Amino acid sequence: MSATAVHTAGPTVSLSERLKDPAWLLLPAAAFLAFIYLLPLFDLFRISMSGSSWSVHFERVFAVSLYWDSLVRTMQISFTVALLCLFFGYPTALLIHKTSGWRQAVIATAVVLPYFIAILIRTYSWMVLLGKNGPINKLAVALGIFDQPAQLLFNRGSVLLGMTAVLLPLMVLSIYSSIARQDPSLVRAGQASGAGPLAVFWRVLLPLTLPGMGAGFLLVFVTALGFFITPTLLGGPGDQMFAMHITQQADFATSEGFLQALAVVLLVITLVVVAIAGRFLGFEFIWGGNKLSDSTKPSKQRHPGRWTGGALSAKIADGIGWPLMRLLSRMPVNTGTWTVRALGGFVLMMLTVPIVVVMILSFSKASFLTFPPPGFSLRWYEKFFSDTEWMTAFTNSLIIAAMSAVFAVTLGVMAALGIVRSSIKGKSAIMLLLVSPVIVPPVVLGLSLYSLFLRTDLAGTMGGLAAAHAIGGLPLVVVIMAASLQGVDRRLEQAAAVHGASPLTVFRTVTLPAIAPGMAAAAFFAFLHSFDELVLSLFLSSAQLKTLPLRLWADVNYQLNPVLAVVSTLEVLLVVGGIALARPVLAGRSKALA
Amino acid sequence: MADILAMRSARRDGSVGGPRTESGSDTRAASAIGSSITIRDVVKTYGAFTAADHISLDVEPGEFITLLGPSGSGKTTLLNLVAGFQKLDGGEILVDGKPVHNVPPHRRGFGMVFQSYALFPNMTVTQNVAFPLRMAGADRETTERRVAETLDIMRLSEHAAKLPSQMSGGQQQRVAIARAIVRRPKVVLMDEPLSALDRRLRESIQIEIRDLHQRLGSTILFVTHDQGEALTMSDRIAVLDAGKIVQVATPVEIYRHPATKFVASFVGESNLIDAEIVQKRGTTMTLKNQEGYVFSAESRSSLDVGRATVLVRPERISISTTPNASALPVVVRSAIFLGEILRIEAETASGERLLIRCTDSADRALPAPGDKLYASWRAEDCWVLP
Repeated sequence: MSATAVHTAGPTVSLSERLKDPAWLLLPAAAFLAFIYLLPLFDLFRISMSGSSWSVHFERVFAVSLYWDSLVRTMQISFTVALLCLFFGYPTALLIHKTSGWRQAVIATAVVLPYFIAILIRTYSWMVLLGKNGPINKLAVALGIFDQPAQLLFNRGSVLLGMTAVLLPLMVLSIYSSIARQDPSLVRAGQASGAGPLAVFWRVLLPLTLPGMGAGFLLVFVTALGFFITPTLLGGPGDQMFAMHITQQADFATSEGFLQALAVVLLVITLVVVAIAGRFLGFEFIWGGNKLSDSTKPSKQRHPGRWTGGALSAKIADGIGWPLMRLLSRMPVNTGTWTVRALGGFVLMMLTVPIVVVMILSFSKASFLTFPPPGFSLRWYEKFFSDTEWMTAFTNSLIIAAMSAVFAVTLGVMAALGIVRSSIKGKSAIMLLLVSPVIVPPVVLGLSLYSLFLRTDLAGTMGGLAAAHAIGGLPLVVVIMAASLQGVDRRLEQAAAVHGASPLTVFRTVTLPAIAPGMAAAAFFAFLHSFDELVLSLFLSSAQLKTLPLRLWADVNYQLNPVLAVVSTLEVLLVVGGIALARPVLAGRSKALA
Repeated sequence: MADILAMRSARRDGSVGGPRTESGSDTRAASAIGSSITIRDVVKTYGAFTAADHISLDVEPGEFITLLGPSGSGKTTLLNLVAGFQKLDGGEILVDGKPVHNVPPHRRGFGMVFQSYALFPNMTVTQNVAFPLRMAGADRETTERRVAETLDIMRLSEHAAKLPSQMSGGQQQRVAIARAIVRRPKVVLMDEPLSALDRRLRESIQIEIRDLHQRLGSTILFVTHDQGEALTMSDRIAVLDAGKIVQVATPVEIYRHPATKFVASFVGESNLIDAEIVQKRGTTMTLKNQEGYVFSAESRSSLDVGRATVLVRPERISISTTPNASALPVVVRSAIFLGEILRIEAETASGERLLIRCTDSADRALPAPGDKLYASWRAEDCWVLP
């Protein structure tokens, strides 16, 4: 990293002077990422171009209709999912914004909670819900809509539904933070100026939250591009997404080079989308944060420029918009409210019902999945806790997740200190690098790490897996800790220093207590990230080292037994417990961002 | 409450637009006339907290009325109830005699200025100011003309194409005012519009708003916690405390004849002297303070025996260094030179604090702590709180 290079520009600085600038704290994270993230990705590019000519593998990707069609299909599915998320996500975000007190807490929890539950488990819950013995089929037959249980799974519709449900929280949170940031008196100013609720929404709120919508849309789109678990489980043969080809090809050792070319194509498309998005929205959209104050350039200058596009669109809106808007403001005042309630309520059901159904099923007496359960028992819990294979996988996951959390928190806290507290230039670029693992499709990351792990004998080791998981855990820690550190009042530290505390004492007595809750939350999320991780583990684990998600994955593909429901319930409890502990921290953080 | 309301004396001279019209003769010629607003027994609660506790207030057409009170006194709640942003829990609000509780805010036709300006950041100055006209369905030509006129009045014409983020706070607030008045509304609501501005800017916009009021003739309901602002701008002031209106009167009446201790200490600086009533004759009362100093005071109080609280404004106290039998001897605790004014804190023999403001003069040395002074005041400068 160029952390130290920055200083060489000025007059010669002594080493001890250099160490006072906390920029050096970025070095461990930079070294970690360079070795386990950038180097493998670089290798991936190198191998993909290792054929007789550099482009031979890429030509094959684009020449074979199987892959080309899949690429187009992946784009279509991702785009549709992003649109669906936007359509359902906006009313939900508005609903959170418009409610208050315990209602708001309940709705927000219903949205946030699923976000932290493993994708595998949420997809599994949809399989249960839509299955032949699932509640939807049962209900439809009972009502006489179907004569017999219909096959609702393994088609395009179920893929879209599952992916939308999985990615919706991302969209809702993105839009909500954008809405919550607006001055509430803007809406009142609109009303006082004679605009009805719908007109205010159309003319004021919607244009102002456009960046939030754009950020949410692109985040969902980019994430969907690399999706693997949900389309594999919910899709049919006609719904193969691009990431799935990479895992299938990975089983054939002969496809060296071509396999990497597939991954490179997926990665490049993702990066291009992110780059275009970043150009318009600022790259902060990736981590949903506010701009880090770059001491070198005042960020205020950007503001007027950003709105020139808005002025143009306002001109277009003027031409056709005003008569329409006057019509809108004449509509019954409650129209908007009820639309928001209906759509938002629907979304909340989509997010919570599958999980609740699975939790109920975990107590089923039946030996197969059927809803409603014929009776209740704890037999599946007994089975889970007495089965050595499950328990080994469970303990493996706990150990790996704990190690991974230690890695991520150690590196992440240092990096966050280095980036927030130093006077280093190019903070945005460094932040982008630290956070970038979030946007790299897990399949690509897994594949790139595969050869590194074989070479270094890390494959199948707990430490290796924990380190791999920490690649994704690190961005979470950095984002939470950067926000947490920015919330610390510098004057308190200055006050301590003025009254005689050494820098280390200041950190120990003032800074650390202030960021400790943030650290606890960061540690929990890093733990959870590793605990839920499946795709990297698929590539990097061995037959001897099974994690809980791997065990689940094997079972989901093989047979849908209620033990999976037990694991899901335990995971939900883990997340609920963790969120309950982290809640004050998260509340503080959203306040700091607003 | 009833007698407090009845207390507002014959302050208004009857002409619409208030007592300040005498100066500018015909400036407000062919303008709209404001609406009357009747607030009757209004109640608003948030859980256990009562933000508006049976408030009644009559606002006359074209009147500039200020809701003055500390934060949490319910003044902004009352304004939001009039605007229609919040629902009444009791009572009613009438505009020109018609109840408005079923009229949503956007159909009340008011103008409103917010503390945070609340300019639409995605629209230029022109678009912001045009917004209310467009919503009202004005045609393009009318809109352009009215916007240009209004920008001209607010001296904003050169900023027409700017975005709010490119302007200073004072300019933004003038845009917000332009947006509020562009429809020539019968009622303009202002929610602490000047509190985000620095003092000099605040004073110049105060004058601008006052002139604007005379020109337009709209009824203005103005919320502030700044007593100086309220005294400068209003036809009448309604002082609120803990969800209740404690006094409604002209600035002069509020300052000279406050109805309660709260009003006396909230508006201006004050000495509240605890004294025993010796005698009452008509509107003059003779009282005796703790150390036996006897003085006369003006009173409309119904009390005639027992103890009373007497207000003496610090600037009404005259001081002398020569002993005088009819004056109250005090000892100087501190004296601060404020420029044209000296602010003296003194103490009576019994330890009662007395604040004195007097004009500085070159032939007098500044009093020093420990100096003996003799304070006196005229009966008409002294007010017995009812």
